[in-house]
Amino acid sequence: MKNAGRLLAQLAIVAAMFLFWEMAVRTGLANARIVPPPSEVLPRAITMLGDPVVLHNLWITSAQVMLAFVLVAPIGVAIGLLLGESDYFGRAFKPFFFFVASVPKSVFLPVFILAFGIGFTQKVAFGMFQAIFVLVISAIAAAESVSPDYLKMARAYGASRRQIYVDIYLPAMLPVIVEGLRLGMIFNITGVLFAEMYVSRAGLGHLVSTWGMSFQMVNLFAGILLAASLSIAVNELLRWYENRVGAWRG
Amino acid sequence: MAGLSVVEAEQTAVSAGAGLRVENVTHVFETGAESLMALNGVSLEVEAETFYGIVGPSGCGKSSLLLMMAGLLQPSEGRIAIGDETVSKPLPEDIGVVFQESSLLPWKTARENVEFPLYLRGVDRRVRERAALEMLELVGLGEFANRRPHELSGGMKQRVAIARGFCQNPDILLMDEPFAALDEQTRMTLGDELLHLWDRNKKTVVFVTHSLTEAVYLCDKVAVMSARPGEILDIVDIDLPRPRTYDMMATEKFGRLRARIWELIRRTQQK
Ligand SMILES: Nc1ncnc2c1ncn2[C@@H]1O[C@H](COP(=O)(O)OP(=O)(O)O)[C@@H](O)[C@H]1O
Ligand SMILES: [Mg+2]
Repeated sequence: MKNAGRLLAQLAIVAAMFLFWEMAVRTGLANARIVPPPSEVLPRAITMLGDPVVLHNLWITSAQVMLAFVLVAPIGVAIGLLLGESDYFGRAFKPFFFFVASVPKSVFLPVFILAFGIGFTQKVAFGMFQAIFVLVISAIAAAESVSPDYLKMARAYGASRRQIYVDIYLPAMLPVIVEGLRLGMIFNITGVLFAEMYVSRAGLGHLVSTWGMSFQMVNLFAGILLAASLSIAVNELLRWYENRVGAWRG
Repeated sequence: MAGLSVVEAEQTAVSAGAGLRVENVTHVFETGAESLMALNGVSLEVEAETFYGIVGPSGCGKSSLLLMMAGLLQPSEGRIAIGDETVSKPLPEDIGVVFQESSLLPWKTARENVEFPLYLRGVDRRVRERAALEMLELVGLGEFANRRPHELSGGMKQRVAIARGFCQNPDILLMDEPFAALDEQTRMTLGDELLHLWDRNKKTVVFVTHSLTEAVYLCDKVAVMSARPGEILDIVDIDLPRPRTYDMMATEKFGRLRARIWELIRRTQQK
C-alpha cells in the first residue's frame, strides 16, 4: 500500500516534468527549434523502437554494455576482495586504486582508440575501464564491512573454512557488492556511450551524436530518451535486487 | 525437549558435566616489534556445573582468557583442559559462547541465529528448527522467531545470543560481558532469566563481567584479576544460598562479598 502510494507519486513527478517541458516549449520559454516538445519526441521515440536501423544500433550498444559488464564484474570484485582481505596486497595496491579512481577516465579514450582501433572491442574495453575502479573500491568496502565478531563467533561454533566463506562472508558482503555492481553498470554505460559519441560507426551513442550534429532535434531528444530509459531500467533492476539481498540492513 | 533428542544423543558421547581447568596460563601478544604480556601464570579450577565469575580491570586479559578457553587463541605457556583433554581448537559440541552485543548475524532471523551452531554441525533441519523454537520460547521470544536483529531491542538480541549458546546444549558456556551494552534494569532481568535457564539445564558457566553486583548475584565463585598482566589475586567463594533472590542484595553478607571484591580491584588499580 505504502509502495503503491510512492510509485504513484513518482509517476506524478515524471508526468509533471513532461508537462512542464511541453508548456515551456509552447509558451516560448524554451526555443522550439532547439528543444522540441515532448508531444513530438515521445511518439518519435516509440516509432524508433520499430525502426530496424535504430534497433540494430540499440542492440550493438546493449551487447557491448552487457559483454563489458560480464567481463569486468568478476575481475573487479575479485581484485577488490583480494585487496580488502589481504593486508599485504591491500597496503601495496589500495592507494593506487583510490588515486586513479579520482582521475576522469574519459581522457584515456584516445589511448583505447590507438590500442584497439575503432569498433566493438575498443568500446567494450573502454566500458570495462570506466567500471572497474568503482567495482574494486566497493568490493574492498564489502570485504572490510564483514565484522570480525561474526568470524569469531562462527569459528567458536566450529565453522569450517568453506562455511565461513559461504555462510558469513558471502551474505555479509552481497548487498555492498550488488551496490557496487549497480554503480559499475552506470559507469560502464557511460563509457560505452561516450566512446560511441566520440568516434564510431555504430551504436546508440553514434546515432545520437550524428542526429545532434545534423540538427535533427526530434530524433536527438528521442535518442536521449531511449538512452535514459535503458540506463534507468538497468539501474532500477539492480537496485531492486540490492534491496532484496540487503533488507536485513534495516 | 523431544526435539533435542538427536543433539542430545550426540552429546552423551562427550563426557557429561565437564569442568574446565586453566593451568598456569601465560599469554604474550606479539605485534610486530613489540610484545605485550596479557596474562601471567593464571590458574583456575572451574568445577563442573558451577557458575564461575571473572572480574578485573579492563585490559587485564579477561577476553583473551575466554578466547583461549574457546580454543580460538593458544596460550603462550600453560594449558587449558576439559577433563584430560587439552583445548587446542574450538570444541563446539562441548563449549558454547556468548559475546557482547553484535555477534548475531544480521541477515538471519532470530530462529536462524539460534540454530546456527546446529546448522554448522549438519543437524537435520526440522530437528534444529524445533530446538531453536523451544529455546526462543524459553527466553520469552517465541513470537519474535522470524524477526531479524535490527528489529529487536538490545535486551532481546542478547536473549537470542543466550538461546544460541544453550541451543546446542554444550556442557560449558563461556560468556564475555554479555550484558555490558544493556541498561541496568534489562541486565538485572536477563541475569535472573539466565539463572533460571541454568537451574533447569545445569552447565559450567564462565561469566566475565565488570559489574560487581552482577558477579556476586549470579556466581558460585568469583576470580578477581589484577591489572595487566592479568594474574589471579584471589578467588572469592560466594556462599549465598540458591535460588538467589533480589532481597539478598540488601543483606550484610552480600555487601561484604561485594566489598571484598571491590577492595581487591581497588588495590590493583592503585598499583
Ligand atoms: N589480538 C591482540 N593483539 C595484541 N594485543 C591484544 C590483542 N587482544 C588483546 N590485546 C591486548 O591484551 C590486553 C588484554 O586484552 P583483553 O583480553 O581484551 O582484556 P579485557 O577483556 O580484560 O579488557 C589488552 O592490553 C589488549 O590491548
Ligand atoms: Mg574484554
